Amino acid sequence: MKKLIRVTVNDVRYEVAVKPNQTLVDMIRYDLGLTGTKNGCGEGDCGACTVILDGTPVNSCLVLAMQADGRTITTIEGVEGEKGLHPLQKAFIEKGAVQCGFCTPGMVLSAKSVLDENPAPSEEEIREGISGNLCRCTGYLQIIDAVKSVGK
Amino acid sequence: MSLPEFDFHAPGSVDEACRMLAEYGPKAKIFAGGTDLMLDMRRRRILPENVISIPGIEELKTLDLSSGMLKIGSCVTIARIVKSKEVAGKWGALCAGGKALGSCLVRNLATVGGNIASARPAADLPPPLMVYGASLVLKKTSAERVVSIDHFFTGTGATVMAPDEILTEIRLSEPPPHSGAGYLNLGIRNACDINILNVASYVALDGPGGAIKDARIVMGCVAPTHVRVLSAENLLLGEKPSEALFERAGEAAMNAATPRGSAYSRASAEYKKDMVKELTVRTLGMALREALGPAS
Ligand SMILES: Cc1cc2nc3c(=O)[nH]c(=O)nc-3n(C[C@H](O)[C@H](O)[C@H](O)COP(=O)(O)OP(=O)(O)OC[C@H]3O[C@@H](n4cnc5c(N)ncnc54)[C@H](O)[C@@H]3O)c2cc1C
Ligand code: FES
Ligand code: FES
Repeated sequence: MKKLIRVTVNDVRYEVAVKPNQTLVDMIRYDLGLTGTKNGCGEGDCGACTVILDGTPVNSCLVLAMQADGRTITTIEGVEGEKGLHPLQKAFIEKGAVQCGFCTPGMVLSAKSVLDENPAPSEEEIREGISGNLCRCTGYLQIIDAVKSVGK
Repeated sequence: MSLPEFDFHAPGSVDEACRMLAEYGPKAKIFAGGTDLMLDMRRRRILPENVISIPGIEELKTLDLSSGMLKIGSCVTIARIVKSKEVAGKWGALCAGGKALGSCLVRNLATVGGNIASARPAADLPPPLMVYGASLVLKKTSAERVVSIDHFFTGTGATVMAPDEILTEIRLSEPPPHSGAGYLNLGIRNACDINILNVASYVALDGPGGAIKDARIVMGCVAPTHVRVLSAENLLLGEKPSEALFERAGEAAMNAATPRGSAYSRASAEYKKDMVKELTVRTLGMALREALGPAS
């Protein structure tokens, strides 16, 4: 049976009726229409579905929508500020860290979490922080360059 | 693949969760981090009628060191274990097990309790927990019991836990002076893979530079459950640690291992056996270095 839950996504409050077997990624994409979050493998392997849940980056394909009741979420649509793209997003473009773009939303959110925790991460910490996000295109080096250029 | 249909419940306390388990019977399933259960449900290996979500229960999220003992609430995430300086300081092999598990995203959801309760022989935490002699607190509406992790696993995916029981806490006593432990896992890549083999070893010395007075060696992926290698442990007791002794213990572990080849990892049974020896020798070396302390 559907149940009404309350979530705050990118500073906007929503009331959504969700089914018990609905995943958080599906709720975000289909009920909220925020399609920046991607659904790739659906099994926790690829990280395309990464969102920040109460300050922690997680695979939203492994979370049930009902578990998000009362919680706060940031998706890629919430990363941009009033002054336009977030410095990380700009760096991704400048360093050629975006090719097909499918991994990019998740990659940016994981990288943002690394920088939020430590504004000057080592390369090792950056690699570790994006270890749950697969990219089939770039070979990762441009992504690491982009994150490094914003850190420091 | 979409998820099967079920009813969802989010109890606010352990007591309420226990009551739900008792009421809904064996068709109810605990959902902790969901990182195992989601896959099992998608692949229709587990089809619960009722899903009982427990990561919101505060009393299951405490990490307590106040009593000289480490008490880990079952819903403490692997990420918290990895980041805890206290755990890294005294239970380093457990921290190593946590670091080997999944990716940082998975570790933010996955719980210690889930890694134990799912009873997969390739899981990363059981070997270190077993060498540290962990005990597990199991609760149901009418009772609570404490079982040694040595007697918890009964087969792949099977444990002594009854369907109406919840694993609430994992307890580790503080390792004695002049003891140490090591954990190594062998996989294909660094993040997000399934172990081919994993071994944890522990030694306690009879004073600095003394003989071995206690030893534990546990291996995963070589049998339906994690197994202690008593033959290798016994061979170490009362002996002065040396490379030759650890080689012999490694050989004993190799002889005790009965792995099957794995199509997924393309690791043959012969390869796994050879690696059992290698990982046993290496983890014993790590344990000894820790036991001898930073001065060595
Ligand atoms: C991409 C990916 C990579 C992974 N890599 C690894 C790895 O490298 N090493 C590894 O060991 N594991 C790995 N895993 C598996 C998984 O993340 C771990 O086993 C994790 O610790 C499971 O915990 P959980 O909280 O998510 O369990 P859940 O999925 O919530 O539960 C697992 C099972 O245990 C039961 N359960 C959970 N908690 C309790 C409790 N308190 N009381 C009673 N029953 C309970 C559930 O009913 C369920 O049957 C990986 C998973 C994914 C998706
Ligand atoms: S879609 Fe969630 S990890 Fe791949
Ligand atoms: S840019 Fe295509 S997957 Fe990363």
